[in-house]
Amino acid sequence: MNSPAMTLQTPEAVTPPGPEKISVRNLKFFYGANLALKGINLSLYEKHVTAFIGPSGCGKSTLLRVLNRMYDLYPNQHAEGEVLLDGQNLLDPHQDINLLRSRVGMVFQKPTPFPMTIYENIAFGIRLYEKPSKSEMDGRVEKALRGAALWEEVKDKLHTSGLGLSGGQQQRLCIARTVAIKPEVILFDEPCSALDPISTAKVEELIDELSSEYTIAIVTHNMQQAARVSDYTAFMYLGELIEFAGTNTIFTSPQNKRTQEYITGRFG
Amino acid sequence: MTDQHTTKAYDRDLEALGRQIAEMGGLAEKMLSDSIDALINLDETLGRATAAVDPRLDALQREIEEAAILTIARRQPMAVDLREIIGAIRISADLERVGDLAKNIARRAVKLAGEPRLPRAMIGLRHMGEVATLHLKEVLDAYAQRDAIAARDVWERDKDLDDLNDSVFRDLLAFMMEDPRNITFGTHLLFCSKNIERAGDHATNIAETVYYIVTGGNLPVDRPKGGEVNAGEGASA
Amino acid sequence: MDAKYARRRRANKIAMGLCWAAAAFGLSWLAFILIELIWNGVAGLSPAIFTEPTPGPGSTGGGLANAIVGSLMMTILGVCIGTPIGMLAGTYMAEYGRYEKLAGIVRFINDILLSAPSIIIGLFIYEVVVVPSHHFSGFAGALALAVIVIPVVVRTTEDMLLLVPNPLREASIAMGMPRAYMIMRIAYSAARAGIVTGVLLAIARASGETAPLLFTSLSSPFFSFDLGKEMANLPVVINNFAGSPYENWRQLAWTGALLITFAVLALSISARVLTREGAQR
Repeated sequence: MNSPAMTLQTPEAVTPPGPEKISVRNLKFFYGANLALKGINLSLYEKHVTAFIGPSGCGKSTLLRVLNRMYDLYPNQHAEGEVLLDGQNLLDPHQDINLLRSRVGMVFQKPTPFPMTIYENIAFGIRLYEKPSKSEMDGRVEKALRGAALWEEVKDKLHTSGLGLSGGQQQRLCIARTVAIKPEVILFDEPCSALDPISTAKVEELIDELSSEYTIAIVTHNMQQAARVSDYTAFMYLGELIEFAGTNTIFTSPQNKRTQEYITGRFG
Repeated sequence: MTDQHTTKAYDRDLEALGRQIAEMGGLAEKMLSDSIDALINLDETLGRATAAVDPRLDALQREIEEAAILTIARRQPMAVDLREIIGAIRISADLERVGDLAKNIARRAVKLAGEPRLPRAMIGLRHMGEVATLHLKEVLDAYAQRDAIAARDVWERDKDLDDLNDSVFRDLLAFMMEDPRNITFGTHLLFCSKNIERAGDHATNIAETVYYIVTGGNLPVDRPKGGEVNAGEGASA
Repeated sequence: MDAKYARRRRANKIAMGLCWAAAAFGLSWLAFILIELIWNGVAGLSPAIFTEPTPGPGSTGGGLANAIVGSLMMTILGVCIGTPIGMLAGTYMAEYGRYEKLAGIVRFINDILLSAPSIIIGLFIYEVVVVPSHHFSGFAGALALAVIVIPVVVRTTEDMLLLVPNPLREASIAMGMPRAYMIMRIAYSAARAGIVTGVLLAIARASGETAPLLFTSLSSPFFSFDLGKEMANLPVVINNFAGSPYENWRQLAWTGALLITFAVLALSISARVLTREGAQR
């Protein structure tokens, strides 16, 4: 009989991963003079979940924030290299940045509902791009809330403040808000780090469902979460991509020694 | 498992695992009963066909093991889920061994085909085969139903098989003492008897696993044992 | 051990006692002022206060109607001029210029303006507006009040916007919202209670200022809505009447002071209530 380790790697390695939605090519990122990403190359595959793991400061959040150019908000931060979204370079200064962000949605570590009603939280984003009629808007809001598995919990209080929801509900509201503007890629930046285990499980289930329609990237400190939700996992360390492979491979038979040490808790 | 996990993919993983075990169980059961039929009827064709199934069983066991490892790595199972998955690994190993034993019997059937002298022990062997197959079937049903009581019942009845094994052993001993030319044939049958008894032991192991999955507890270490002689203990490897 | 502990307890008691005494001393003066004010002011309260203009020298009766209207008009106009300017400056500092040197310079200058004596502001407007136009006017008064309002609003707007969590900004931007849109729709709405509080406090401050009005709008015994001329206002009327030999003038000064005090108090309380509501959310 073959050793289990041998058989475990094969299934994913031979499966063609499908089209690339985002391709990162030799990406370098600077905080001032400080090099935070040292030439990253990887691909996010369409309608798959890619998780980024690694110790604090490894650059995983930085990488995520490059993907929708969130770093533009801050002075002294800049990126070099290429990030291709459907073959189009995001880092191109001529890129319409607001349009780009409507295609690449983001959900943050702490729930960030806008200071308005639950309904408005979602309608607001839609109105940025479309002018649907009242009834159409109602439908869109309901669809988004259902998509985020929140509808049943909030349908009777749509016109109360979004800030009155629990942490887990707020986070799902943020996901609903992101989904409502029909992005193609959704970035999750530690979406469960402020949530309790039950809410975490709900958000994870949601990510799993969303992956049938969206290309998803998730940064997480919780490697078990990466194992649970992702199809591909990237392990980063000190601004470098150490290993990028199918999640099954990373969590059962990683090829790199440092990956192995990290995921088995033998790090440092 | 009545309640569902929040993560539906987790449920799907566990269901798939259960289905694979059921498929393996069906195959192993069929192999065991076919191999015994082949032996009793000295049916060469059936013997070869039965032995040919074994690779499928081995492949299934590997798949189950792999799926179980991935599920542990990705879902961090706890409590009943953890027992469920560990149980699946153990049961699949037992079923794979049952398949090996059946293959061994089937091969001996092929080798013995055309043998003219049938000893009385054949009746005992057929009976043993029926009992072992029944135990396996019952224990797989107990697994499917997650029925600890049924599993324990099978576990307790293993001594019947031990007793039968003893009586077959004595018959074969007499058969071989009658005429030294019987010794080759008799030895083959002796191994078959031992194999059936071992298959029964695996059914007992599965019963213990089912009991563990359902209750989280273990059956006592000392199983009611039959057969003072413990025939041919050293013979099987 | 016990002796040490007893000593610490004694020291603690003495310190506490001193604190209490200091607080009571301060508060007693405030209470004294308020009691004196109410005692003297309430006596003069009558409908005539709100209907009749200030009396001439030697006459009897009279009210404060012209001063009340003047104060209201100039304060409102001053706030209307000062608030947008202050908010825009505060917004620049908190949102656009947060990491830039200019914001630091603006903040420093604003802090100086915030603590500048109000009489200097009055003199400044006098030089810039009153002298070239050759006469005092309500408009100049409103301008002086605007200059008082601006630094307060700048400060609170900046502080309140800085309190808006950055992830909220990033979340808005991440939806593809243009920055100005994010500031107007998200940041202002998150900081609304704080900014409104700041404006209310600015109104309270402006409505009680005498010095800047002395050099700008002066005062007038006549009832008038004309911002182009001298305009009566409560602080200056109080200032003029309080030291006068006429009994009815002195009484009107007390009543005017009472009105201003309660108006300011009401504004402060509503500011407090708003802040508390803001904090609860």
